[in-house]
Amino acid sequence: MLLTVLACATTTLVATPLLGYLDLANIVMLFLLTVLLVAITFGRGSAVLASVLGVLLFDIFFVPPRFSLAVENIQYLVTFAVMLITGLITGHLAAGLKQKAHEALTRELRTQALYDVARQLAGALSQAQVVEICHAFTQGQLAAESLILLPDDQGHPTVAMGSSPNCKIDPLLANIAEDSGKTVRNQELSNGYASLYLPLRASMRTRGVLAIAFPTEVVSLPDEQVALLEALASLIGIALERLHYVDVAQSTQLKMVSERLRSSILSALSHDLRTPLTALVGLADSLFLIKPTLPDTALETAQAMHEQAARLANLVGNLLDMARLNAGEITLRREWQPLEEVIGASIKLIESALVAHPVKVRLPADLPLLEFDAVLLERVFCNLLENAAKYAPPGSNIDIAAQPAGEFIEVSISDRGPGLADTDNDRMFDMFVRGDSVAGKPGTGLGLAICRAIVEAHGGTIRATNRPEGGASISFTLPRGTPPILEEESV
Amino acid sequence: MNTPKPKVLLIEDEKTIRRFVRAAVEEEGCSVIEAETMAGGLIEAGVQKPDLLILDLGLPDGNGIDLIRDLRGWSEVPVLILSARTQENDKIDALDAGADDYLTKPFSVGELRARVRALLRRRLRRGEAATPVVEFGDVVVDLSRRLVLRGGQAVHLTPIEYRLLSTLLGHPGKVLTQRNLLREIWGPSYVESSHYLRVYVGHLRQKLENDPTQPRHFLTETGVGYRFQP
Repeated sequence: MLLTVLACATTTLVATPLLGYLDLANIVMLFLLTVLLVAITFGRGSAVLASVLGVLLFDIFFVPPRFSLAVENIQYLVTFAVMLITGLITGHLAAGLKQKAHEALTRELRTQALYDVARQLAGALSQAQVVEICHAFTQGQLAAESLILLPDDQGHPTVAMGSSPNCKIDPLLANIAEDSGKTVRNQELSNGYASLYLPLRASMRTRGVLAIAFPTEVVSLPDEQVALLEALASLIGIALERLHYVDVAQSTQLKMVSERLRSSILSALSHDLRTPLTALVGLADSLFLIKPTLPDTALETAQAMHEQAARLANLVGNLLDMARLNAGEITLRREWQPLEEVIGASIKLIESALVAHPVKVRLPADLPLLEFDAVLLERVFCNLLENAAKYAPPGSNIDIAAQPAGEFIEVSISDRGPGLADTDNDRMFDMFVRGDSVAGKPGTGLGLAICRAIVEAHGGTIRATNRPEGGASISFTLPRGTPPILEEESV
Repeated sequence: MNTPKPKVLLIEDEKTIRRFVRAAVEEEGCSVIEAETMAGGLIEAGVQKPDLLILDLGLPDGNGIDLIRDLRGWSEVPVLILSARTQENDKIDALDAGADDYLTKPFSVGELRARVRALLRRRLRRGEAATPVVEFGDVVVDLSRRLVLRGGQAVHLTPIEYRLLSTLLGHPGKVLTQRNLLREIWGPSYVESSHYLRVYVGHLRQKLENDPTQPRHFLTETGVGYRFQP
């Protein structure tokens, strides 16, 4: 302000001696030049001041009568008006130009900073690095504190990354930003609360919220800065998404490798264990083919060898199944199919174990298709039927029934044996646990554990009860789901 | 009665298993040629022209499924698979490649002999004039007149049920994979819709089996497919 006044005074001083030599019109030019210089140097306000001062000084010191505001010739009023208007417009344009140049420079610096952030984020290997890069940017460019909030298990952005003690979070606003995917501003919050919440949007979904707390002296936020921060937020969102997919890819690869290793070990083991057992079963059988026929005692021995080897093979099968099931994530080959089919196949498969126990199957006619892995469910039925046949007296029936139970179908296999001494369900279905009453019967206590693993893998439950009329009953549930629609055949 | 003995080619790398399989097959009145490797087996199959091939899927010098594919290029000989693996996929691949039946190790000599008998009988029958009338249980199917009788009573079958029935009857004793049946009866776009097949097999059992829950003729090979047992 003072400098503007000084500049105008200097112009007056310089011009006064020239009054004899220069036309008044040219002296006006000197004042206009001053206005232009002031505008460029000090901006718009000073330019207005210089214009007005210039007109006044010109009037007082140069226009006759000198040293007074009075004007001899009315024409000078036009000069004053033109001078003022020209001064104001020149000043305005010059000052605008200067401001534009300044803004362009600031913008360029910020864009540069944004480029740098983009480059750094592209190389970031961890979320901590992303947080650090973001923090450095907001500190450096806007002197603001920032915090990145990642979604928790329920999807609310609550997990704060990094430590910014001066940035407190309003969880409600963070939630709104996350859910709406739009920037949320709140200027009224102060004393360290974040006033700007930007969703970290990426191509698949919003990956969290960026919260910014400005220093208290910042009262309002220009749109241009918000736009800058939104650009930053989307860069961070993309970086976080990239890191997420890197994680996913790595863990998938790891899982695939370990899955492949596990299944190749299991199938090698299965091959190596079954081959000698196959030879044993077959060789024992081939003793029956020897001509002339061996004595009965030798054949009895051969039969016993066959049975023991077959039992061993069954045990190996159970152990390998259990290993497969216990190793975690079993891949179920689920298909929609009628329950009666797998029941029929199971009965057929263990026909020889069921000769003394007729199986009665009672299924409702309108039983829907169910979605299950037939091979595994066959295992469940075989194990349960074998168990029933083992404990129930010869000649007694085994019953298989099914009925709807809410969202599930409940299947039960019941025998007419002595029943269970102890229906302690959890323990019964544990591995290697055998009932007290079964001493003397062959078995390993693996069967029910396998059944439970399979049923639970299908999303069902299994339990054991005693029937009121005597005998044990094992029932399990399978979810009904939504069966596929079967196009009716056009007849 | 002076028919030549049927020749059975046994491709299996385990010596002890070869020993009892040979004994069992010879008991069925066949002569046995042995091979230990896939390459050797393929040569023997070409030179000896066996009537039946018994093949272990886990051969040391290659996958038995490839052998079946090679073989099917020039031979219709029945193939019985011995598989030590429990994985259903291997069996399905072998059956889709052209194998006729499979046995999962360990198996008894009795089962083996039954399968060998069935496969050889089917081969002999192939020479005879095809008969249009198939009988099983109390059911008579006259394929030439599209007539299905059960206990003397006509049974109504829908077109798809009839096509499924005639496909199954056309391959007695052979395991037909789900994929195979779906492609044959519903067309290639249905190979993933296995529930169709299951529901229609269920219909056939309802109409033609005495106890549909414990079928005796339309048997399920769980996870693999179906088999018609006359």
